[in-house]
Amino acid sequence: MRAPLLLLLMFLVFVVPVVLLALSSLAPGWRFPNVWPEAFSLRALVYLLQHRGQILISLGSSFLFSLLTVLTTLGMCLLPASVFAGREFPGKTLLEGLLLAPALVPPMTFAMGLHFLLIKCSLADTLIGVVLVLAMFSYPYMFRALVAGFQTMGVDYRACAQNLGAEPVRILLTVELPLLLPAIIAGGSVVFLVAFSEYFLVFLIGGGAVPSFTGRLIPLLSSSDRSLASILTLIFLFLPIALFVILDTTLVRVYRKKGMM
Amino acid sequence: MGDSGFQTDPGEPSNMNGAKRILKLCPLLVPYAALFCGGVFLTVSQSFGLLTPIPYGGGHLEAYAGLLSSPSFYASFLFSLQVGAVSALCAVIAGTLLAYWVWRLPARLQTAALIYKIPLILPHIAVAFVVLLLWSRSGILASMAHSMGWIETMREFPNVLYSGWGLGMIMAYCLKGIPFAMLLVMALLVRFDARQIETAEMLGASRTRIFFRIVLPRVAPAVHTAFIILFLYSFGAFDIPFVLSESRPGMLSIHVYNMYFKRDLADRPEAMAILVIMFCFAVLFIVAYSMAVRRLESAERKI
Amino acid sequence: MPRKQWFAMLLCTVAVLALSGSIQAEQHRPLEEPFEEIEKQAEGSKVHWYMYGGWAHVNTWVDTYVAREMKVRYNIDLTRVPMDAGIFVNKLLNEKAAGKQTGTIDLLWINGENFKNAREAGLLLGPFASHLPHVQQYVDPGSVAHDFGYPVEGYEAPFGKAQFVFEYDTAEVDSPPQTVAALKAWIKAHPGRFTYPQPPDFTGSAFIRQLFYAVTGGHEQYLQGYDPDLFARQAPKLWAWLNEVEPWLWQKGQTYPKDSATLDTLFARGEVAFGMSYHPPHAQNKILEGTYPDTVRTFVLEDGSMYNIHFTAIPFNAPNKAGAMVLSNFLLSVDAQLAKYDPAVWGDFPALDPQRLSPRDRKRFQAVDLGPATLRSDELVPVGVPEIPARYLEALERGWEEHVLR
Repeated sequence: MRAPLLLLLMFLVFVVPVVLLALSSLAPGWRFPNVWPEAFSLRALVYLLQHRGQILISLGSSFLFSLLTVLTTLGMCLLPASVFAGREFPGKTLLEGLLLAPALVPPMTFAMGLHFLLIKCSLADTLIGVVLVLAMFSYPYMFRALVAGFQTMGVDYRACAQNLGAEPVRILLTVELPLLLPAIIAGGSVVFLVAFSEYFLVFLIGGGAVPSFTGRLIPLLSSSDRSLASILTLIFLFLPIALFVILDTTLVRVYRKKGMM
Repeated sequence: MGDSGFQTDPGEPSNMNGAKRILKLCPLLVPYAALFCGGVFLTVSQSFGLLTPIPYGGGHLEAYAGLLSSPSFYASFLFSLQVGAVSALCAVIAGTLLAYWVWRLPARLQTAALIYKIPLILPHIAVAFVVLLLWSRSGILASMAHSMGWIETMREFPNVLYSGWGLGMIMAYCLKGIPFAMLLVMALLVRFDARQIETAEMLGASRTRIFFRIVLPRVAPAVHTAFIILFLYSFGAFDIPFVLSESRPGMLSIHVYNMYFKRDLADRPEAMAILVIMFCFAVLFIVAYSMAVRRLESAERKI
Repeated sequence: MPRKQWFAMLLCTVAVLALSGSIQAEQHRPLEEPFEEIEKQAEGSKVHWYMYGGWAHVNTWVDTYVAREMKVRYNIDLTRVPMDAGIFVNKLLNEKAAGKQTGTIDLLWINGENFKNAREAGLLLGPFASHLPHVQQYVDPGSVAHDFGYPVEGYEAPFGKAQFVFEYDTAEVDSPPQTVAALKAWIKAHPGRFTYPQPPDFTGSAFIRQLFYAVTGGHEQYLQGYDPDLFARQAPKLWAWLNEVEPWLWQKGQTYPKDSATLDTLFARGEVAFGMSYHPPHAQNKILEGTYPDTVRTFVLEDGSMYNIHFTAIPFNAPNKAGAMVLSNFLLSVDAQLAKYDPAVWGDFPALDPQRLSPRDRKRFQAVDLGPATLRSDELVPVGVPEIPARYLEALERGWEEHVLR
């Protein structure tokens, strides 16, 4: 396919929706049959500023539990990934298939059964409960990334450090983790996005006590106030982009300089 | 999946014994058993009327009997299957084609093509909202059609979102699924040597032939993975149907939501029974699809 | 080693303090203390108010006016949590079954069948309403004795009043139908231009209740309590009416808007010709917000328009019962009811008895301009009919799903 045509098609499908969101956020009364909004108003922005406290709290909360989910999945998957990147052992393929299942089956199937147990253990309505359940269905992405990372890294660095007399924990922290960082970032980005965009599980387990940005957006989507919904959606888009830009400029550059990426 | 293992580890004993291996697997196995397996177990037992929040008066199989004799359950099930299959198929086909074309682009244009990642960042509910903005009868495309003189009133615009075919949801799932499929396919394409294609072109092969005979078999694993993931996701997810759903027939996940949250606690086993059926279906599908793919691949190799 | 011992001692001290704190908390029994004591206890605390989150103007009023006044007057931090009433009742049911004595919800915005379900399951604290000074001062006990026919008995405190109205755009529709029969004729004459939110949405459910009264000959027959035979005899008339108009509804009745906010959007964008709402000033509110064109007006059907009162209640496991009572009391103050009555803010009718107000306060309420799109009370009161007992409501919702949706 010709390059310009392809890029135009991709622009129409992927970028135009964002442009529409931007327009809609500035035009609360945009109705049929206007192709272009009749009147612009900053009412949605005013609402945003008025409620910035609550919006920032829910953004911050979403951010926090997404970040904690990344760290939790990292802690869960680090050692097991090293095992799976290594030698064959009986039942390896079956176990790997089983361990990847939570990302494939609908999360509702285990989360709803779990909910009652979490209430009994007082983990429902808490941040920890939400992080646990989010980690439970997003860890396969971190797992796959880490397995690939371990395989790329190879075993020589560890052997070398062991020969120099370092203890296993020290090797893990000072030698292997830095080398795995690209894989951790790749898996972590996916886990972060998945946790950040999740509505249902946070709503089910968090029970309203754990604020989330998705929870703030949902009632507005069916309301007649489309401009407000549009502006909140745009925030949703720009926050992860900002995060990834920061990651790129800081960590990744450092690693590129050191020649490790 | 983990087939290119490490070389022999000089520092370890020649057989890493099972105990040490299991210990290393614990950080994952323990939460997996407690939360995932525990959750599934509780769902299953609640569907039989055991371990429910309030004591359940009915028989153990009553929830299942009720479901399996209800035509609306089958209608919802088929509807969820349909939405899942159509959206996954379209997303995978479009995603593979787009990935291939983007990969063939000259290098400097490839950075421009990164815009495909935008829908990946948007949450599903936001993508559903975008579909609503565009395709509702009072939406933007309707306005465009009006300004071009194709329609006079709102009602002449085709009924896309509520037609009963789940088109709105399918489009939203596609908008999220196409970049996802592109991502997976591109990951395999970058390892591909472009020179093989150039050689084939020099030998006179047509572009279609190159795509189907050379490229497609190489990216097949990504295509199959993407299809399984996208199909099962569209089948059982909640977020997009919550914004775009149609009343009749509804998606299974919305039925479960209504039963769990809006009805009596006494209806809990029925909600759980639907979940158990969805879970079993997901597992069966994964197994059946993987076996079918493996059989196809070994058949191909024999030729 | 000394460091380890010191740490252990520190842990013990912290544990003792924490335990004593919780023991002290249990000694508070808010229902038995004078209200000044309760206000003192609630000072500096946090209150979580769980309420329906689909109305942005109400959210704004709670987040700005109510939160600010609670902070200024009582030094209480208010957090509003959006959650549908059916869902938080379900949540409390789960918590009660799990034996959770301290939950996360302090105050609920509730009424109707949700209140009945909560009462029957023992989920509410009470009776507390008569402890609130503003209830003693301003509320007529007779008007709040029943909620959808179910005895309140002080387990919830009034919050506001509502009456069911329809909305239409004068630029699109010249004269709206005046009766239910005329409505049926209008629907058939204008296919695809009418719909109602899918029950069990609050507004959609209210619509079918209205119709139920109208097609079965009035409301008095139902007020004695739930009679299954009466229902079995009368309900088919409603299903027949709804099924008869279904092919002429929006989307030919294949799908219904999932909630009132969705219907508002369809009406605002002109996809359907009529909106409906349980709040008389709803249309004016939307006009001021900019989402409805200013040609929208409200009307009621001559067959009757239901009114009800909505309430606030306190769950059995509320962590801050004193704070919840203070908030519930504040919401009944003249200032709060007046602020809420302004259509630019919300427009919800006050739950106070005008006879019990001082003449100056009465004048303040009369001075509020409800706007041209709102019907005046002399138009609303004559057609007002009381709400139906809650068990009928549930039967109607279930029946709708079975006989009309399928």
